[in-house]
Amino acid sequence: MRTAFKMAMRLLGSVFVGGLMLGGAQADVTVLGWPGGPEETALRAVADVYNARPDVAAENKVKLLFFNRDGFWDKLQADLAAGSNAFDINLLATYSIGRYAPFMEPVTLSDGAGELFGPAVLSTMQFDGKQYGVPTDLSLHFMYYRKDLIDALMSDDAAKARYAEISEKHLGKALQPKNPDDWTWDDFAATALYFTKSVNPDSPTRYGTVLQLKNLLFNIMVWQSIPRSYGGDWKDAQGNITIDSDAFRKGLELYKLLYDAGATPRDSLSYEFAEANAAFASGQVAAMLQWNAAATDLTDPQKSPTVAEVTKTMAPPAGPEGRKTHIHGLGLGLNKNAPNKEGAKAFLSWLSTKEAALDYARNGGAPALAPKAVAEIADKRPDLVQLGEYAGAYGYVMNGGASANALAIYELQAKEFTGYWSGQQDIDTALANVKKGMTDLLK
Amino acid sequence: MQLSERTEWTLLATPLVAFLLLSLGFPAIVNLVYSVSEISFATLRSPVLSGFGNFAAVLQDPDFWRANWFSLRFGLLTALLECGLGLFLAVFLAPLFKNRSWPLAILMMPMMVAPALMGLMYRLVLHEFAGPVPYYLWQWFGDSPSFLGPNSAFWTLIAVETLQWTPFAFLLFHMAYHAIPEHLREAAAIDGAGAFQRFRMIELPLMVPTLAVALLIRFIDGFRVFDNVYVLTGSGAGGATASLSIYIYEAFFKQGTIGKAVAASVLLFLASFAVLYGLNALARRKRK
Repeated sequence: MRTAFKMAMRLLGSVFVGGLMLGGAQADVTVLGWPGGPEETALRAVADVYNARPDVAAENKVKLLFFNRDGFWDKLQADLAAGSNAFDINLLATYSIGRYAPFMEPVTLSDGAGELFGPAVLSTMQFDGKQYGVPTDLSLHFMYYRKDLIDALMSDDAAKARYAEISEKHLGKALQPKNPDDWTWDDFAATALYFTKSVNPDSPTRYGTVLQLKNLLFNIMVWQSIPRSYGGDWKDAQGNITIDSDAFRKGLELYKLLYDAGATPRDSLSYEFAEANAAFASGQVAAMLQWNAAATDLTDPQKSPTVAEVTKTMAPPAGPEGRKTHIHGLGLGLNKNAPNKEGAKAFLSWLSTKEAALDYARNGGAPALAPKAVAEIADKRPDLVQLGEYAGAYGYVMNGGASANALAIYELQAKEFTGYWSGQQDIDTALANVKKGMTDLLK
Repeated sequence: MQLSERTEWTLLATPLVAFLLLSLGFPAIVNLVYSVSEISFATLRSPVLSGFGNFAAVLQDPDFWRANWFSLRFGLLTALLECGLGLFLAVFLAPLFKNRSWPLAILMMPMMVAPALMGLMYRLVLHEFAGPVPYYLWQWFGDSPSFLGPNSAFWTLIAVETLQWTPFAFLLFHMAYHAIPEHLREAAAIDGAGAFQRFRMIELPLMVPTLAVALLIRFIDGFRVFDNVYVLTGSGAGGATASLSIYIYEAFFKQGTIGKAVAASVLLFLASFAVLYGLNALARRKRK
């Protein structure tokens, strides 16, 4: 009995000491990345390149850590607030940078980073005037449309007459179909209505568009390019909240009109990125405003055989202020409690070099690079040329969109605006609730 | 040395009490402190006491009451549906399970799936363009209802929860039904009682304690629902499908209002404690 007890204690002791040794083995640089997408593939590739470099010491090799995308930012928030040292480098995004900055340290980029990325892209990783991360991926929105359907519409006089009739009935003005390059938001709405079976029984598609209306902050980012193109902003120059302006009303009412008319699936109020892509890929949708990240799958004949050959992209339609697209960056920054700070700084500095950025792009990442740099990979990644062009010409960040409470503001808007779109409250109540909440959150 | 009964009891209970104090007591105290403090993620280690403002904010928040109402309706309806269906299946299928137990394993399968995965599965199954259910509805009827729209999401969530957890209620009733002594049924049959009379006058009264336990467990589980609802609809359009658990989660993580979230959880704890204490007192009185 006594022998068994001694053996059990020895075993317990070994496990304990083993655990301590594992905990202390923090010689490498641990990077917490964005899991499960092209960002993970690209990060794995550049980590391999970095680890193979002769000047990287064994104790500074990069080790990657991934968990699930679901609740990623909440888990990261809890980890950082608890002072976790389980990773040296962590992911951060433009809209969450203000929330995480207190638990991170500013970083120094390589000498050529300014020229490689340009000031607008570098600013997506800045807070309080300090650089908190290396920009790795840029996200913005494309208008995806079916070229075959638009071409058929443009070449059929009877269809044009029907189009004018439908737009007059639903939008109050008789519009003529246009090439998507010339679309305003009204043209988009008229096209969406024309290609909706319940509005136009002759439509070749079931729906004219698919809106992502789930109560989710990312869906507000997609939608808000409409009010922005009408001159909308969260705050004016004096710091007054301007969410109840005509621009936001126009954006809200346009979505409501399309939802009520049946131009988007009835379950759209539970749709986000994946559901909208599945709808478009089925061939039953004519046009959709979506993240640029969908382009690879929707134009791949293996993944989207029904629509890949006929899907084209352009910048979101124009309002009186021109075309606008929300932009935000994903990047990697330094944890304040990093056990291997020097190793982490060295990796981040290398990651901001042209060599690393081009490797990252070649392996599926979406860095926004200056025209000179992106030209080197234009044959392999033509979408990155469009990405850089749109970001520079139409990209915007709402005034307050990188503040400490930006995420909470998006959440608030998502809740109140989906309440309006679903018919649970009127537009005045929704806007008043958001204005009240934003006044507190942007104090 | 002979130890007194009291000393023995103290010695035996000490590890359990110490474990409970460590695992539940510390978080409970931290929660209580946070609930009366001004607190954010940046000041987790240095909360500033601020009185009962968080409780007032929660009690004045219409979304808190809406979430309570959702959880209450969801908990009650799913408990009643699961227990009703479970009881029906246990009695109706009793002859099938009398001499063979393998079909039980098939019926238990939904219970084996994690609720979050169940939510993901239905997100796919009910999707208009990727799911088999809308696909066949379009094929056969030329239309498909909106499963997750503002007017239908609640009932879809009820159906998903009921389909997953009816097997749990069924299992309890199956055990209780087969534990009823056979001679009682035989005696009633000899006295001329029909199948329905035997069920109503003999079997059902003997299964009432199991029924009460099953209803209570399923209500608690339904009331605190989070995973499958969160995966399927999130908090829903305008917060229409926010259960109390989702309300607390979103207040904590999404809005960063930690004090308010913790105050809501303290109120939930007090309400649960009061209900359980009341039920316990009721049971004690009945035993006397």
